[in-house]
Amino acid sequence: MALTFQPLSGNALADMAQQNRIDTARMFKAAGNGHFGSCYSCADIVTVLYFATLRIDPTNPDWPDRDRFLLSKGHAAPTLYSALIRRGFIPEDWIAEYETHVGARLMTHPSRRYQAGVDASLGSLGHGLSIGVGMALAARLDHKDYMTYVLMGDGEINEGSVWEAAMAAAKYGLGNLVGIIDNNGLCVDGRTDDVMPMGSLVDKWLSFGWEVSRVDGHDLNALLQVLAPRRLMGHDRPHMVIADTVKGKGVSFMEDVRSWHSDSISNTQYAMAMAELGALQ
Amino acid sequence: MTLADARAALPTKSIRQQFGETILDLAGERDDFVVLTADLMYATGIDRFGAAYPGRMFNLGIAEQNMTGVAAGLALSGKLPLISGYAVFTALRAVEQAKLDVAYNGVKVILAGQSAGLSYGVGGPTHQSCEDVAIMRSIPGMIVLVPSDAVEVDACLRAAMRHPAAAPIYIRLGRGAEWTFNAPGRPFEIGRSVRLREGDDLTLVANGSMVVEAVLASDALRSMGVAARVLNLHTVKPLDVAALEVAARQTRAMIVVEEHSVIGGLGAAVLEALAEVPHGPVRRIGIADSFPPIGPPHDLRASLGLSAENIVAQALDLLRRT
Repeated sequence: MALTFQPLSGNALADMAQQNRIDTARMFKAAGNGHFGSCYSCADIVTVLYFATLRIDPTNPDWPDRDRFLLSKGHAAPTLYSALIRRGFIPEDWIAEYETHVGARLMTHPSRRYQAGVDASLGSLGHGLSIGVGMALAARLDHKDYMTYVLMGDGEINEGSVWEAAMAAAKYGLGNLVGIIDNNGLCVDGRTDDVMPMGSLVDKWLSFGWEVSRVDGHDLNALLQVLAPRRLMGHDRPHMVIADTVKGKGVSFMEDVRSWHSDSISNTQYAMAMAELGALQ
Repeated sequence: MTLADARAALPTKSIRQQFGETILDLAGERDDFVVLTADLMYATGIDRFGAAYPGRMFNLGIAEQNMTGVAAGLALSGKLPLISGYAVFTALRAVEQAKLDVAYNGVKVILAGQSAGLSYGVGGPTHQSCEDVAIMRSIPGMIVLVPSDAVEVDACLRAAMRHPAAAPIYIRLGRGAEWTFNAPGRPFEIGRSVRLREGDDLTLVANGSMVVEAVLASDALRSMGVAARVLNLHTVKPLDVAALEVAARQTRAMIVVEEHSVIGGLGAAVLEALAEVPHGPVRRIGIADSFPPIGPPHDLRASLGLSAENIVAQALDLLRRT
């Protein structure tokens, strides 16, 4: 039961974040390749949300009062799958079938058609924040105190629809909406600043009417604080958390390497990665 | 009586006005009903709803992609959202949100596209919408409705509201005054065509603004000794295949008339449905693969052959060759 779930902290939380990376590697091993970099930069954020922040109930995935989480950078789905597995929404043995056959229940991008606990099917970039605005508006209409969290990539926010949603969230004063930017500095084709320079993200979101926090996206205690739900506390501005991260965080040869956005992995590399992550082989 | 006289004898009503009246009326029935618009509250006739229910009216500014995603988010949290916009923006600008946020997520959102076809003819190709049916009907699970006058707009909205499907419903709508000819109170059943005239010589299939033209054409043909059945296919998807197969069996030829591109619209849908059953010749009257000129809606339609006069001429020609 969600309400009896003991939130993790300290070493237990850190261990779970490593478990997330291990689960993710296993899924990519099953498929032969995957978005390692994109998953590992947000593994700590997703772990904090699912093991300390979100009010959710694995026995009742569609609980109307649950907090919502939207993985707008849907290509990091294995990170979400691991969290859903370890919280008991979906079975662990699905890891082995990731992308392996027609009808596999885990694929590159999350889908509420196939995976309990996924609040919205996402994958094409720039969609999550708008859906989150709709969920936050619905909470207000229903006088419910659930929170809606939307995780985006720093490349993703090139999409114009993100800024349309940014305006709408500010217009409606959605204090129950939290955006998170996985600010790892890399997109598929290179440095985000080279592919499409966006200037100061802090200034941008401030000027769009959001409250803005900046945090080390791998500091679990800092994430715990900044992501803590502010239920019915009178906040009248949506909150953007800019989480500075390292793409591929946790596996030395993947860290801040463009090509590991999505790549195939050899047996040797896999063994090295698992060893670094502390997995029992 | 000429066709022009017959047409002029019909009453007219603004589609936008009817839309606004029905939305206001339906709002009283369901508390979960919310309406979204992208700075087209007045232009789509929902200002009275907005004034009566300010808490359930969301004006998202000129940002249709976000609006459609917001609607999906509201639907995913238990609301019944209706998007009130122009067809070009609802169906084209925000098509990926319609496909993914709404259809793929399996939620019901009513996507109302006004000013469709040539009904904003003077707006030119930026505001004319001749591709929307083709695009919307290709999205999995999308229901596509094209009502034919103010009476049917009212019935169609009520049917859409009550429809149980967890799927988006695209409603293609006109804009200004259109001829009113449907009998009030006739039930509107999604997926079920309406046979408006009997006849076994040929079948005229139409939807939207072309239904009245098909009816007028049928009446004119009857005076010439030709019995033309008229089917109002207000639902393009799911298509009433059974009625089409019966018509293909019982009549010698078929003409499909629509205020839409001949590519991918009702005519294409009918031909897809008939492809595997025996049928006579099928002629399509629609908008050719080109950007239409600019002009007032009724004159513009007529100039492109979207008229009872042309339907009569095409019917006689088709029967002569059949």
